[in-house]
Amino acid sequence: MAHQAHAYHMVDPSPWPLTGAIAALLMTSGLAVWFHFHSTTLMILGTILLLLTMFQWWRDVVREGTFQGHHTPPVQKGLRYGMILFITSEVFFFLGFFWAFYHSSLAPTPELGGCWPPTGITTLDPFEVPLLNTAVLLASGVTVTWAHHSIMEGERKQAIQSLALTIALGFYFTFLQAMEYYEAPFTIADGVYGSTFFVATGFHGLHVIIGSMFLAVCLLRQIHFHFTSEHHFGFEAAAWYWHFVDVVWLFLYISIYWWGS
Amino acid sequence: MAALGRLSHALLRSPATRNRRHLSAAAAGGHGEQTARTWKILTFVVALPGVAVCMLNMYLKEQNHSHEMPEFVPYSHLRIRSKRFPWGDGNHSLFHNSHLNALPDGYEGHDD
Repeated sequence: MAHQAHAYHMVDPSPWPLTGAIAALLMTSGLAVWFHFHSTTLMILGTILLLLTMFQWWRDVVREGTFQGHHTPPVQKGLRYGMILFITSEVFFFLGFFWAFYHSSLAPTPELGGCWPPTGITTLDPFEVPLLNTAVLLASGVTVTWAHHSIMEGERKQAIQSLALTIALGFYFTFLQAMEYYEAPFTIADGVYGSTFFVATGFHGLHVIIGSMFLAVCLLRQIHFHFTSEHHFGFEAAAWYWHFVDVVWLFLYISIYWWGS
Repeated sequence: MAALGRLSHALLRSPATRNRRHLSAAAAGGHGEQTARTWKILTFVVALPGVAVCMLNMYLKEQNHSHEMPEFVPYSHLRIRSKRFPWGDGNHSLFHNSHLNALPDGYEGHDD
């Protein structure tokens, strides 16, 4: 049997990058078809392909790392760099929407009444549900840290409890935010206020859902003994992502909910 | 990455230096055996009560709310319909609430 004379991971050929790219193409063109021709077929096909790609690609990564031993320290270091770079790119993504918000709100145009919030907009009270949402996400940051230390100390039951609590808080945030969206006296179509509010908070909510799913996968893996006290990078990546989601919320809260009200 | 650095550093240390625990290391939670317990305490004494207080605050504020519909003024900078929504009749936003969200002509079911 041939052995490699280095610590790196030469990945086996895989179809998932191709299926992922095809999914991205079908979803984007499907979105355009939906908008112009009122058919959702292409978009749904693309979404299904995306879900299949994600499931199978990440299943393969878990197999390679947890069961086949390919994630040596240098490989793990590369994965860490990768996650950090990805989160950095997401920071820039949100930066754009904050730019749009501040551009519109610092110099409100005459069409809006020359003021911010614009004339006719009833803003949400930042000290009601938004404050609760802030407490929920900050609490989930505490619980995910409890989970991390539990994993490092080999405290299996505590790790499962704290991770489950973190996910529950994430779902609670999503539930509260969905309620807020329904109860809001303004919509996305209410000028630049509505656009900046719902696009920024909407993408944030999507990231909360993604982060919750990531943590849920970690919970399943923890239950199935995938993590050791020394090697649990999947969990660390999920925790980093979760902290990032929390920080984005804090900026949203201060800028849009509080200053912008 | 930081954990990786600490791991290899700990492996390289002699037993004598390894046992000296610095306060900063315990606070950073690198290898402290008590740190999970610390965060567990923080969870149940600070974080979750903080959420509970905010929930209580909401309940109390909700009671003082007036549940009127916001006044409808047909401003041209609001309720924009440059392009129809791709669902339903194209005139309702995704989270439309007929009690709180007026359509461009006014609230539904009202003849203003």
